[in-house]
Amino acid sequence: MSVIEARDLRRSYRTRTGLWKREKKVVEAVRGVSFAVEQGELFGLLGPNAAGKTTTIKMLITLLLPTSGSASVLGHDVVDDAREVRRHIGYVFGGDRGLYERLNALDNLRYFAELYGVPAREQKQRIGALLELVGLTGREKERTEGFSRGMRQRLHIARGLLHDPEVLFLDEPTIGIDPVGARELRATIGTLKGQGKTILLTTHYMFEADELCDRIAVIRAGELVAEGTPATLKQRVTGGHVMEVETFGMPESAVAAVRSLAGVSTAAVEERGQAQVLLVQVGPGAEVTSAVLGCLGGVNVGRVSSREPTLEDAYVELVSGQ
Amino acid sequence: MSGDITTSLRIFFVGGLISFRALFNWLSPWIYIPSLLIAPIFQILLFAYIGRSAGIESDAFFVIGNAVQYSAIPCLFAMANTIAGERSTQTLGIVLSTPARRIPLFLGRSLPVVVNGFFVSMFSLVVGSLLLGVTIPRSAWLPLALVVAVAAMSCTGLGLTNAALGLRVRETAVLSNVLFGVLLIFCGVNVSLDALPDWMAAVGSWLPLTHAIEAARELAAGDTLGSVAGLIGREVGLGMLYGGVGLAALRWLEIEGRRSATLEVQ
Ligand SMILES: Nc1ncnc2c1ncn2[C@@H]1O[C@H](COP(=O)(O)OP(=O)(O)OP(=O)(O)O)[C@@H](O)[C@H]1O
Ligand SMILES: [Mg+2]
Repeated sequence: MSVIEARDLRRSYRTRTGLWKREKKVVEAVRGVSFAVEQGELFGLLGPNAAGKTTTIKMLITLLLPTSGSASVLGHDVVDDAREVRRHIGYVFGGDRGLYERLNALDNLRYFAELYGVPAREQKQRIGALLELVGLTGREKERTEGFSRGMRQRLHIARGLLHDPEVLFLDEPTIGIDPVGARELRATIGTLKGQGKTILLTTHYMFEADELCDRIAVIRAGELVAEGTPATLKQRVTGGHVMEVETFGMPESAVAAVRSLAGVSTAAVEERGQAQVLLVQVGPGAEVTSAVLGCLGGVNVGRVSSREPTLEDAYVELVSGQ
Repeated sequence: MSGDITTSLRIFFVGGLISFRALFNWLSPWIYIPSLLIAPIFQILLFAYIGRSAGIESDAFFVIGNAVQYSAIPCLFAMANTIAGERSTQTLGIVLSTPARRIPLFLGRSLPVVVNGFFVSMFSLVVGSLLLGVTIPRSAWLPLALVVAVAAMSCTGLGLTNAALGLRVRETAVLSNVLFGVLLIFCGVNVSLDALPDWMAAVGSWLPLTHAIEAARELAAGDTLGSVAGLIGREVGLGMLYGGVGLAALRWLEIEGRRSATLEVQ
């Protein structure tokens, strides 16, 4: 039995537009997603904005009912056995909302410790240890309304771990945390995995996914488009290489022209300070350098280089068009 | 299983108090004293002087009616804040993703509300009586306190229904203000039920506070607790009815929220 199982999960939302002339619209956020996460595994769910990651997680943590399909956590059905699921899972989402602003950090944690039924005599010690873990020791008596974004995020993480859950759902947990803090958090996630916890993680940081995840699923427009270890996903684009061209003031039409070249799998633009870096994924054996530069005609071109593909390249190829 | 009961008891008592502190945003003295200690005295004085100049009813009638009725302000507003306030803090989703039993979770928040409503009413009763020179027999104070507590409880029951509605419609202050006005007019606070049109008196007899106010007036006039037991029973019954409706509505909202994503749970 897998710890997390999603079987053909679907979820649509009904939305209304306008106040008077109400038009109903149905958004199919998740369209038949299936995957399984094994005991002790760290599973990454990657995908662009609005791909359906949070919706999938909300179904797994019992906050949303699937429109169809089914899912279970530790063998408990997320619809029929919701309370049993809730006992064993921790949930952390990214962002700075979801705190009781008038309470200090300690009381925020104490409240959820009560809701999870952490025995009174264990609370003090657990909360102390978690504050230490997320680096908030010494700030716990302050009202959270004065907390910075990263401090809020750390508090959310501590909250998600209060009842020592066996399964963790982390929806962009490092968003808004400074680089050192994020590095510490990744180490913490690694430790939790070492303790045998099963973790489902979403993130937009590919290096983070590459570093942490045992297995990754890429979701695009509500459907899984790839699944595998970071290494196998990278292999999908190896054999080729990635050409990086630093440009200044490149028009969208030039990118389109590059995309249509023979031997080019995908092309994307990344802003880096003043420059726009054109990332071209080149198929195995293809030689496109002069053709790409040809497409860039009058554009101001800086450094041109070539490198091995990263997980990010694999991701870009998976989620961009085709 | 006994662990489950302990957890629920703690959620009721400890959790309820923490939520009250977290979400009832009138707890600063700058809001609390003017809104909950001074305003009821204004209301008592206003109606007592109108009564005096019109030559109707006694000062005791107005002091008791308004002091008991004013618990509606803390009971309605605080109950709505502590439940529907989860919307503005965006904590509802996190709370609902815990295994906590929902009845102690929500009902626990009503206990501090009742205590606070009781305090506000008793304060108004004592200060109003002193200011207007109303004498209430020494022996009547203890039974009066019981009736005031029952009134705060039943009004909080209505507050729970109001809070459930507020969770759905997002605007709780409007609802609470309207309900406060309804209670002021229909519950025999300043105009006795016999003087109201029949249909209004009939509505009043189904609202919280009406029976408690009547019982309190009889106690202050020297009646025994035994002789108002029927009124107290009716008041308790109505409080439980409204509280039950509120809890059922919250249950329904959670189910409906998971189905149609209406509670914006995150
Ligand atoms: N409560 C809601 N009502 C209506 N539509 C919704 C609701 N929640 C999400 N959606 C829609 O469902 C789709 C998927 O949203 P979801 O939040 O799952 O994306 P995501 O993959 O988590 O994106 P992000 O990376 O931006 O967090 C989006 O089109 C979104 O607009
Ligand atoms: Mg999301």
